[in-house]
Amino acid sequence: MKTLVLVKQVPNTDSPFRINAAGTWVDEGNLTYGLNDYDRYALEEALRLKDKGAAGEVVALSVGPERAATALRTCLATGADRAIHVKDDRLAGSDPLAIAKVIVAAIKGEDFRLVFAGLQADDDNYTQTPALVARLLGRPCATAVLKAELLDGAIRVERELENNRVQVIEMTLPAVVAVQTGINEPRYASLKGIMAAKKKEIRTVGLSDIGLDAAQVGAGAARLKTVRLAHPPKGKGAEILKGSADEVAKALVLRIREKTGVL
Amino acid sequence: MACKVLVVAEQDGGAVRDITWELLGLAHRAAKEAGWDAGSVKALLLGHNVEAAAKGLAERGAAEAIVADAAALANYTCDGYAAVIEAQAKAESPALILFGHTPNGWDVAPHVAAGLDAPLATECSAVGAPGGKPRFTRKAFNGKFVQEIEVGDAPLSIATVQRGAAPAFSGATQGTVRKVDPGIDAGTLQARFVEVRKGESGGLDLSQASIIVSGGRGLGAAEKFSIIRDLAQALGGQVGASRPVTDSGWLPHEHQIGSSGVTVAPKLYIACGISGAIQHLVGMRGSGYIVAVNKDADAPIFGVADVGVVGDLFEIVPALTKAVQEARR
Repeated sequence: MKTLVLVKQVPNTDSPFRINAAGTWVDEGNLTYGLNDYDRYALEEALRLKDKGAAGEVVALSVGPERAATALRTCLATGADRAIHVKDDRLAGSDPLAIAKVIVAAIKGEDFRLVFAGLQADDDNYTQTPALVARLLGRPCATAVLKAELLDGAIRVERELENNRVQVIEMTLPAVVAVQTGINEPRYASLKGIMAAKKKEIRTVGLSDIGLDAAQVGAGAARLKTVRLAHPPKGKGAEILKGSADEVAKALVLRIREKTGVL
Repeated sequence: MACKVLVVAEQDGGAVRDITWELLGLAHRAAKEAGWDAGSVKALLLGHNVEAAAKGLAERGAAEAIVADAAALANYTCDGYAAVIEAQAKAESPALILFGHTPNGWDVAPHVAAGLDAPLATECSAVGAPGGKPRFTRKAFNGKFVQEIEVGDAPLSIATVQRGAAPAFSGATQGTVRKVDPGIDAGTLQARFVEVRKGESGGLDLSQASIIVSGGRGLGAAEKFSIIRDLAQALGGQVGASRPVTDSGWLPHEHQIGSSGVTVAPKLYIACGISGAIQHLVGMRGSGYIVAVNKDADAPIFGVADVGVVGDLFEIVPALTKAVQEARR
């Protein structure tokens, strides 16, 4: 049983974020990148199934520019068997539905029984690509999954709901599982894994290789157009107290007493 | 009347969820801005034995409450719900479909978007429609930035909307209720509902707490949480946490405050080492008085806090604990 893991390379959260000159996205030149945090949990879930003998080959797939190969290399070093990198300059500016179409085209004929992905990406926070892919494949998808258990021809998952409740559902395979952080404890790449990854395959494909018309992707085809990216409004803004720790502590006590009456 | 805005309602045990009233409020504002008639705002309700909820929708915001009632819809499943919503959206042909950004809302909306080949803007904090062109505001990069999205000439766009994006619809309407045939067969669904149950919990209920001291990633390690516990104890309050804390196992999940944890509204909320990702803010911004301690002056938490201290929480929190103890003497 082959398992696919969808991954994305995203800016590290401690990168120096600046808005680009057009005011429409971040200036990518300043950023450092790494594997999306949620995706580490998705990969771990696939690798655990493999460790148990329940899954066969684990394949990582990413759609992204040249730099995304580094994220795939991380997946290979951590334990994925091979990787697919969809890379094409014409993909720049694609919206999530276009990316989902690219993913579906890229895995045509691969016959994956399970697709793992992270609930969301730490850059655009869209929380939609895994389920878009599922719908395009005509398959079920569960999001915010906190627990997954493989059954015979199905997978039983626990979805995180609000107020500390979970929904348990069973999905007939093939199925897409978008995991929540905390579902497992992701392993890190070992030195041995890093060495072994050098021999593993990253297959790089472009739009013509996967048979997708360039008119369906890229900034020109995107219906979701970011017209403005800005710093969040400061809102009413907090009164910022200054001074030594003891001074601010005393000032806080005064305000808490005055405003809340709890002291 | 032709439908322009379709609100996908959510109910829980037959009661309409609060997010739905907010969506109806938002739908009317957007319709007004677009120049669409108030009669073009409709709601779609899925479930089983939900007549009372449907009637409520028609009386409070929906010109028409479309009801798909079937045993197979008694509980949410992605493919069952998506099929019905997609079919009704095709029949109604709205310009805008609004979902709540809830676990079921974000789960099903992409299915509908892909099925209808429509753009989907998720976790929106505002939805407008100036001149009839939908415009969406949301956070990107975990709240570091606000993103504004337009959809060009797309005839249909879809959004999931976060809680608190608009006041609940407060007027009264004399809408109609219309039952439709859901046309789904439980036997053909690929996702099967098993149960909804409580997560693992030790019985803590932060939702009723009047004082909460929360710690975040800034604490750095489980054992460092003692300074948070000490302050909570001095104040007679409870200990809360942001998601990274419970993910890392520093505290059980029941302490987690935010969109995937509990929503709280204490009189006093003290956030220590919490940057203020939107997922956390939606769970605590209704608090009466908010104190934030964080080393990063640009942290979004200061945007919702009443008073803040920029500095080392390992110095400030113990000093505050001491000052509280002295004040209580």
